[in-house]
Amino acid sequence: MDFGFSADQEQLRAQVRRFLDSECPMDRVRQIMAAKEPHDRGLWSKIAELGWPALTIAEPYGGLGLAWEDLVVIAEEMGRSLFPSPLLAGAVAARVIAQMGSEGQQARWLPQAASGDLIATLAVLEESDDLSAAGVQLVAETNGEQVLLSGRKMFVAHAQAADLLLVAAREHGGVSLFAVPAHAAGVTVTPLRLIDRSQRAAMVALEAVAVDHADRIGAPGAAWPDLAGAMDAGTVALAAEMVGAADAALRLAVEYAKVRKQFGQPIGRFQGVKHRLAEILVDIESSRSLVYFASWAVDHQQDPRAAVSMAKAYASQALDRAGEEGIQVHGAIGFTWECDAHLYYKHGRYCRNLGGSPEYHHERLLVAQGL
Amino acid sequence: MDFSFSEREEAFRREVREFLAANNPNRGGGAAARGEGEDDLESAMDRLPKLLAWNQALVEKGWVGFHWPREVGGGGGGLIEQMILKQESGKARAPMLGLSYMGLAWVGPGIIKYGTEQQKRRFIPAILEAREHWCTGYSEPGSGSDLASLRCSAVRDGDHYVISGQKTWTSLAMWSQWMILLVRTDPAAPKHRGITCLLVPMDAAGVEVRPIKAMNGETPFAEVFFNDVRVPVENRLGAEGQGWDVTKHALANERSSIAEVTAMVNHLDDLERLAKKCKSNGRAAIEDPLVRQRLARMKTMVEAMRLTGLRFLTKQLRGDEIGAETSVNKLLRAELEVEIGRLALDIEGRYGALVKGSPGAIDNGKWQRQALTWPSYVIGGGTPNIQRNVIAERLLGLPHDV
Repeated sequence: MDFGFSADQEQLRAQVRRFLDSECPMDRVRQIMAAKEPHDRGLWSKIAELGWPALTIAEPYGGLGLAWEDLVVIAEEMGRSLFPSPLLAGAVAARVIAQMGSEGQQARWLPQAASGDLIATLAVLEESDDLSAAGVQLVAETNGEQVLLSGRKMFVAHAQAADLLLVAAREHGGVSLFAVPAHAAGVTVTPLRLIDRSQRAAMVALEAVAVDHADRIGAPGAAWPDLAGAMDAGTVALAAEMVGAADAALRLAVEYAKVRKQFGQPIGRFQGVKHRLAEILVDIESSRSLVYFASWAVDHQQDPRAAVSMAKAYASQALDRAGEEGIQVHGAIGFTWECDAHLYYKHGRYCRNLGGSPEYHHERLLVAQGL
Repeated sequence: MDFSFSEREEAFRREVREFLAANNPNRGGGAAARGEGEDDLESAMDRLPKLLAWNQALVEKGWVGFHWPREVGGGGGGLIEQMILKQESGKARAPMLGLSYMGLAWVGPGIIKYGTEQQKRRFIPAILEAREHWCTGYSEPGSGSDLASLRCSAVRDGDHYVISGQKTWTSLAMWSQWMILLVRTDPAAPKHRGITCLLVPMDAAGVEVRPIKAMNGETPFAEVFFNDVRVPVENRLGAEGQGWDVTKHALANERSSIAEVTAMVNHLDDLERLAKKCKSNGRAAIEDPLVRQRLARMKTMVEAMRLTGLRFLTKQLRGDEIGAETSVNKLLRAELEVEIGRLALDIEGRYGALVKGSPGAIDNGKWQRQALTWPSYVIGGGTPNIQRNVIAERLLGLPHDV
């Protein structure tokens, strides 16, 4: 029994922290937010050199072969910096390829994903915003040696930066998964304008996009269970990111409460302020415990749904409160563009329903426990 | 991270389970085992002979004072084994692991750390064997959250202290043979430094106990008056003026909140059962989406408490101290205690108003008692607002408000 990070993991955390503090402080994040580019290629190549995209990819394919709990260490620090990056989307896509892909498919895509030369992302959700298998209605139609994909995907994370889309489609009454080059004929990527500018997502339309049967990942019509499992791992990484962001929002508010004086004293002395900040720390520490455990569970438990749902639901509560209170503690300056408080708040509003709302996950938790 | 247990630890778990199957007085059904009605004070008194046999069986195993050093008669057990023991006995809904509740929770640890050899020999065996029970004289009418402002005084007179003053909210005072008492011995010193800890026999001349009735109708605590009570100097625990440190150390014991978590898990299991059997508007409460949301949120909080406790335990196993961060779980527990009672009564609907003994009362009024008893858990040992201060000041570095 050991529920803590190892010395190596702590070292990884310190390395990530140093990198983000020096290479991507908040003014850099703001530049990236304002930029038109799909993502910051300079920062991407630097983190690729550090091995971040390779982290969870198996060693035979040029990866570092580490566990999801190691990725969660990075995710939490990314959240603390609101680091805009397709890293986590790519890690989930790589997980899908590793778990569902043939050896040939793994050899074809994973080494490039590990080196950072290929950015992949999942395209599953559609306009119905239905997270279940029933939400996948994009049509896959066999046409001789090829399959034609037609339909529209919504909220595809970092699609504008992606080279490869892993597209879920309805086939043989079930869900199949196809690897589609993002620049294939018939693919249109339309960026969405998000409440949270640190993030990127797009609408992806496919009009009779032709792929080979060899591009199908996993068995026809049987992709859903593994796909859902990988998306759960993604939800844990997201929750870790949210915990990091919540902690950063809290620290910003705490530092302000120490120096801002009213009625002749720092406002952090008033219980009306300090108690709310204390409660946010309770939420953050509680979510941390749940997120760390869930990151272990997705690699070790047969059915980690309960652990994942608890982590996501609680992380939402933590980031909601940290984001909202973070603005209020700052007073009027808290809702200026200049103050960073709103950036965490917006991130919270974006992440809350990403991968399922707290209410969705509460319900899923009971179902997973047979209730 | 590693959530597996070693072969030795698993063997210990089997040993605990076998022991419980043979010795747990709640085994084989009964209301307490089914989670339908909890032991109140009266029924605990009725069951006293069984409880003493349970204590004796535990003592023979070395499982009372499980982690106390062997030299004083404790079990010398490790932290993980202790966790396993608490989890398994909690799951089996066994009584507490030793009946001398406060003796085991903080008096014993205080004596082990600060006591003289003579005090250890005199008091520890009686705590382990449940021959003597302890109460705690901390709070006073004018000193609650600001405990260090206490005024009950002790004046040295030869080889005795003479105590005068009053304590209040003293749980179990009327059933205890001894009290661990905080008194002011130096009114001139800074408030934390003028305090001394004394071990006082409750039958000493001049000790007067007046029971206080609580809002749940039971009488679990009392006012205690000291009218020139003489106590020998050898009953002092620690040095004169060291009382605050003794108390802090004693209260710092048992921090990973494993026992509380096990109790909460049992509560939630019972609540689940309640939601399945109670109907409202023609369907089981467990099918009501709002009930489901509330139940899921509570499950999430209890799991967070459990896992945060494991993080604390890991810290201890790695040789680090844990301190203010334990307030995190205390706040979660406070919120859970209130919400569990509220949800249970909501699930019962109109039946939620029926208490023990009423026709139609569900689970013999267990949840009504919980709904009327949580304040003693939530307020005792530091109110939620005090926990928030601790977190804000010690973990976030915000300024003290007084």
